Order: sequence, then structure tokens, then C-alpha cells
Amino acid sequence: MPLQLQWYLSTLSHYVGAAIAIVALMWLTNKGLRRLGLRGDAAMGLALVVPWLLGLLIWNAGPIVASLYFSFTDYNILQAPKFVGLDNYEKLISGDPNFWPSVRLTMVYAALTVPLGLVGSVVAAIMLNQGVKGIGLWRTLYYLPAILPAFVTALLWRLMFLPTRSGLVNSATEPIWSLFGDKPPGWFLDRDMLLWGFVIMSFWGVFGANTVIVLAGLKNIPRDLYEAANVDGAGVWARVRHITLPQLSPTLFYLIVMGIIAAVQVFDQPLFIQLPAGSPTFLNVYLYGQGFQFFQMGYASAIAWFMFVVILLLTLAVFRSSAAWVYYESEARK
Amino acid sequence: MVAMERRLWALPTYVLSVVLIAAACGTGGGTTAPSGGSPGGSAATGSPPASGGPKVTFRLTTWAGEDEAKELQELVLDKINAEATDFEIVHEPAPADYYTKLQTTLAGGTGADFMWLSQEYVAGYASRGALLDLTEHLAGVDNPAAKLDDYFPGVIKPAKYQDKVYGLPWISQPLVLYYNPTIFKAANVDPPDDSWDWTKFRETAVELTKDGKYGFTANGWPPIQQFIWQAGGEVITDDLASSPIDSSEAMEAVEFYKSLVWNEECCPTEETITEQGFGEMFKGGNVAMFMGGAADTFDGLDVVGASVVPKGPKNRANLSYVAVTAVNSATENPALAAKALAALTDGIHHWKIVAPRPELATAETILASIPAKWKAQKEGQVDAIVAATEEMRAFNIIPRHQEWDGLFWSEFQDLVWHGKSTPSEAAPGAREKLEALLP
Repeated sequence: MPLQLQWYLSTLSHYVGAAIAIVALMWLTNKGLRRLGLRGDAAMGLALVVPWLLGLLIWNAGPIVASLYFSFTDYNILQAPKFVGLDNYEKLISGDPNFWPSVRLTMVYAALTVPLGLVGSVVAAIMLNQGVKGIGLWRTLYYLPAILPAFVTALLWRLMFLPTRSGLVNSATEPIWSLFGDKPPGWFLDRDMLLWGFVIMSFWGVFGANTVIVLAGLKNIPRDLYEAANVDGAGVWARVRHITLPQLSPTLFYLIVMGIIAAVQVFDQPLFIQLPAGSPTFLNVYLYGQGFQFFQMGYASAIAWFMFVVILLLTLAVFRSSAAWVYYESEARK
Repeated sequence: MVAMERRLWALPTYVLSVVLIAAACGTGGGTTAPSGGSPGGSAATGSPPASGGPKVTFRLTTWAGEDEAKELQELVLDKINAEATDFEIVHEPAPADYYTKLQTTLAGGTGADFMWLSQEYVAGYASRGALLDLTEHLAGVDNPAAKLDDYFPGVIKPAKYQDKVYGLPWISQPLVLYYNPTIFKAANVDPPDDSWDWTKFRETAVELTKDGKYGFTANGWPPIQQFIWQAGGEVITDDLASSPIDSSEAMEAVEFYKSLVWNEECCPTEETITEQGFGEMFKGGNVAMFMGGAADTFDGLDVVGASVVPKGPKNRANLSYVAVTAVNSATENPALAAKALAALTDGIHHWKIVAPRPELATAETILASIPAKWKAQKEGQVDAIVAATEEMRAFNIIPRHQEWDGLFWSEFQDLVWHGKSTPSEAAPGAREKLEALLP
């Protein structure tokens, strides 16, 4: 029998073993829970989610706990980790000259992309909501960039931001720069401009995806609210301020939370676009480099947990602030 | 309720039945898992086979793409596997994200027995216990590829760490100076030859820079290390104890290199290279001279000449790209692995150019290894490639080489090439940081 077929069958036997084990565990869960006095349908339901729970424990919870442990170790991937206490966190706070510039770049990026992307997508969605013909086509066009692979987007924007005149952006804006007696910037070759390159690039995907979500939120706003406002003589701005934005606030809340998480974790584009030597890189890319290029997985894990805490704090802040600006109709009725 | 429960159990029961039936079909007829482990399993295990017993299977992982993997299989592995009575090598290419995959499989205990490593990775993997010390095992192997004295001295070094051997080099590509004869002819300038030194080289590059063409191109490649060696300096000393990048020899080389890199007198600017592509400018006929590896080929150019690199103040050292096949330290058949490694390496030496052994680095063997598609272009380059092997050498590698390399660029080269600092100002501070990474 060919070797490859032998290997295929060998792999298949592992799958069979795993399948038998999972089904046995489901059966045991069902029986065990019933013996403990749980109702039949509840025991059955829990037994049926056992495969998913196993996946969660093995592929999510396991690595999360492992990375927390690794963050307290000197772990080079190839050898067993050695416990070093808080050394990695000390290094992160005061011993690594490249860490805080990366944090700063990432935070500034998030601070710019989240609000600007949100404002842009709301404006675009409001425009698309004005009875535009062929709305399906427009929605598709807006969403299309969001489904392109990150590598394609990075390649495209790298070409757009070429530092010479053949770059589309510089070619189009050269007359404006020359008005101020200046040359177009080097974008990704220029440490001072690369952040703006990434900010503009981020609109490509986020803007489109967010526009579709906001548009769906706009469509859900009851028409009678606008009709009542018209009867009361409300102008455009009054309708936006007192109807559109409050009704849309749960959608915006969701987009802000997801936007912060995505912005702090930005990885794909900066990985594909080579930055000038010595310039800080985004936190996730920095983490990847420490772990997989420099064999410092313990330190990389500490960076990952730092990122987690940052995202958690930002998300909590948004949640805490939501009572002041997010409008839930169900709460208003209480 | 009972009926509903039955229906709910029907799906897992059905899935289980299907996989059981498949398994029964698969394992019927007395099929057993191959000796030496299974796919994704750990490195080859078990005792060496008795005479006539099943072969031990060794897994080889490489970064080979589709075409290269096909060639490796057909030109090397099929032959070895047919001849060997006690082992078999199975290729598992991983062309994307190679080192990330390699590290995670090694960490997970599922790493392949043999792995390709670029020269700068060997010391790092060896120092972290991932590689098998082959020093003793290779001594007992009767295969020309196992004789370390038969390798070029400058290229066997990266396969060693602390005087122990951790792999066998399978390729050593010296850098040569490629040139576009059409541009030289149009400018009525003689093409490069082995009489050229730095001065002649730069003068010619300046002379050829006109009418939208450039004489040469440099942007950090070719590496400054080569020029420092040619001036008699070092970036990491042989004993791996210091990084004398502020020596007078290094300063001389850096000043010369600075007169080339992104300098419009002789070379395209950084912006132009970013826009048009580094190698692409040479392929497009816009650059007259280009330093590249011996196996480089150039689409779009019918004729490409080659010469040895220009001589520096002290010598004509040129960087050799060296890659090594190393053995996983978890392999439980080290003696047989060494034998298989030697057979594999010898096979690759007859396939790839340039073989890191002088006896195979001849014009005849190189020409025999060149694919038919590139034969015409490479024929005129072979003499220069053979000549370049005489003074080729590899980097002195340290376990934290990637970090060292990154710092060497960001703390020194980037500052100097971009004019943010002078070589003599930047070197002492950079040296201190670089030496902190030495073992």
C-alpha cells in the first residue's frame, strides 16, 4: 500500500478515536447529569454542547491559560519554559526601549481610526439612506473591500502610497503640496507619515463594513418618528440629533467596541508593509516578532496580556459611558 | 420527548457509524502504520531495522515551493529511497511561514527529522537544544557528503556551533557581479573583469549613469558585511566575542558603501527603488550592474554577463548564501539519521548550484545542474561563478543573530545611509548595543 495512503489511514484512525471519545463523553455527560437529577432535556442539551465546550477548552481557554503562564517564564519555544516571576513585565515597563513607542503608535492609530471611520461610515450610510436607486449595488460596492484578503489590500495601498509621482496618492496631491512649496511625502518610507498611511488605509476595509451595518441600523428606525418630527417642524439637523443618532446609538456602541478591539490588534497590513528601519511598529506585529523571530515567547506572552488589559480597560470605559449616550428603547419604556 | 431524544442522538450516532465504517475499510487487510511514526507525529522513533525489515521513515521539512519540491522529489529523494535499504525520506514542504511552522512543530514535539535552515538560524536552534549534535555520528558515515574536510572552509562554519556539527550545508551561492552587456556596449565601456577594484567599479557605475539608466544599485543589498570583509574588517569576530564595526577597516568600507547607496551619481534613489523594484530594475534593463547570488536568473534579459565582485583594499571576499539540512534532536535513530542526512545532502549537491564542495563546484557540474530554461543565460556566467567560490564565505553566526541583524540595521546602517549620522559617530554606540547580544 502506498505510504501516503498508509498515512492517510493512520490519520483517519486518529479522527475515529477522537470521534469515539467525544461521543462517549457526550453519552456519559447525559447519563451523569440525569443521575444528578437534571431534567432530561437539560441534560441532553448540555451533552450536545460537549463537543463545542471541548473545542473552547482545548483551542481557546487552554492557550489563554498557557500564555498567562508563559508570561511569567523565560520561554524560547524550543526549550521548556523557566519561571522568572515578573521579569517579563518589568522588561515591558522599563527595560525595552522599543515597547512604548509601539504602544504609542498603536494607541494613536486606534484614536484616529475608530472615530474617523465611524463618522465617515455614518455620513456614507445617511447618504445611501436617501432613497438611492440600486441600493443593493451600492451596499455591495461599499462592502466589497472588507472581504478582500489583507495581503491584497496592503499590496494595493503600498502601490497607491508609492513615494514617487507614480504613486496614485502623490500624483493626485502633488499640486496641493507644491502650493505650499513642499514635495509629496514618502508615506511608508517616512517615519512621520507612515501612521497616516495606515490610518487612511484602514478606512478601506472598516469604512465599507461599518457603512453597511450603520445602514441596517438606519433602516430600522421607525419612519413615524421622522413624520412626527416633520409635523413638529423639525429641521434636518434636529432630526439627525434627536432621532437618528439616539436610535442609532446601540449600533454605534457596537461599532466603537469592535473598532477599538480591531484597531489595537491591527496586524495584517503592517506585517505586509515593510516599515523604515528603526521606526516603531504596531503592538501585535512587535509581539509576533518577539515570539517567533527572537524566540522570546515568554516576553511576547506578557505583551499579549498587556494588550488584553488595555483592550479590556478601553472596552469597560466605553461600556461605563454608554449609560450617558446609548439609547435603548426597552429601557426608556420602564 | 423520547422520540425527540432519539432524533437528537441520531446525528452523532450516524457520524460515528460513518467514521467506523471508514476506519474498518482503512485498516483492513492487515495495514499497519508506517514504521517510524505517522504524519504529524514526532520524529522517527524505534530501533534501526534489522536486515530485510521495514525501513525507518525520516520526515524532511523544507521551504520548497511546488516546482522545487517536485524537483527535489524526482531528482533526489526517489533515487535515495530506491537505493536505501534501511530508511526512507518523506518530504513535507512548508513554503509559507516556514520558520513559524517549524518552531511550533518542534515545540509541540511533532517536528520533522530533517529541516532546512538558512545559515543564520543554525546557531540559534543548536544553542536552544533543538538540533542533534552530529559530530560523532557523521564520523562513521561512508558518504562523501559526510566528510567535513571536503567542504569549502568558509561555508562549513555556519553548520557548526561551539565546535560541534549540527547539519550539512547543501548549497553555497557566492555573490557575483552581474552586468547587462547591452548597456556597456551602448556606452562603449568595457565590462567588468577580475582586474576591477572598488575605485574602478565606482567610476564605471558613475560613467554608466545617464539617460535614465543607472550604473549600479544598492539599498542595503549587497550587504555591507562583504565590503567590510574586503577591507580586512569584521562585523562579528571569529570567536564571536566582539563586533568591531568602528574599526578603521570597517569605516573605510562604510564610507565606500555610502558613496553608492541611493546615490544618484551612480545608483537609483530609495524612492525609485521602492517604486520600480530592486531586482526588477536590473531585469528591466535600467541598471547596468547588480550583485546577486550565483543561482539568480533574470527574466526579460537575453544575455547577462557575470564577473567576480570587485576587489577591496585587502581581498575579494564575497558573501555566500549557505543553507543547511539539520537533524531534529528528538530523532531516536541518530546514527541512521546521519547516514540518511549524508545521502540526502549528497543528492542535493548534485542538484543545486553551487554545491558547497570544491570537487562539485566545477563549470561542468554547475552547467549540468542548470535547468534547460536558463542554460543559455547561465553558460556565460559559469567561469565567474566558479572563480567566486574561491573567496566566498558565510557570516559568523551567533544564537541571537536575527536580533543582532535588526540592530545592525536600525542602530547603524539606517542612520548612516539616510545621512542621520556619520559612520564614525554612529559606530561606537551601535557596537556597544551589538556586543550586548553576543554570546
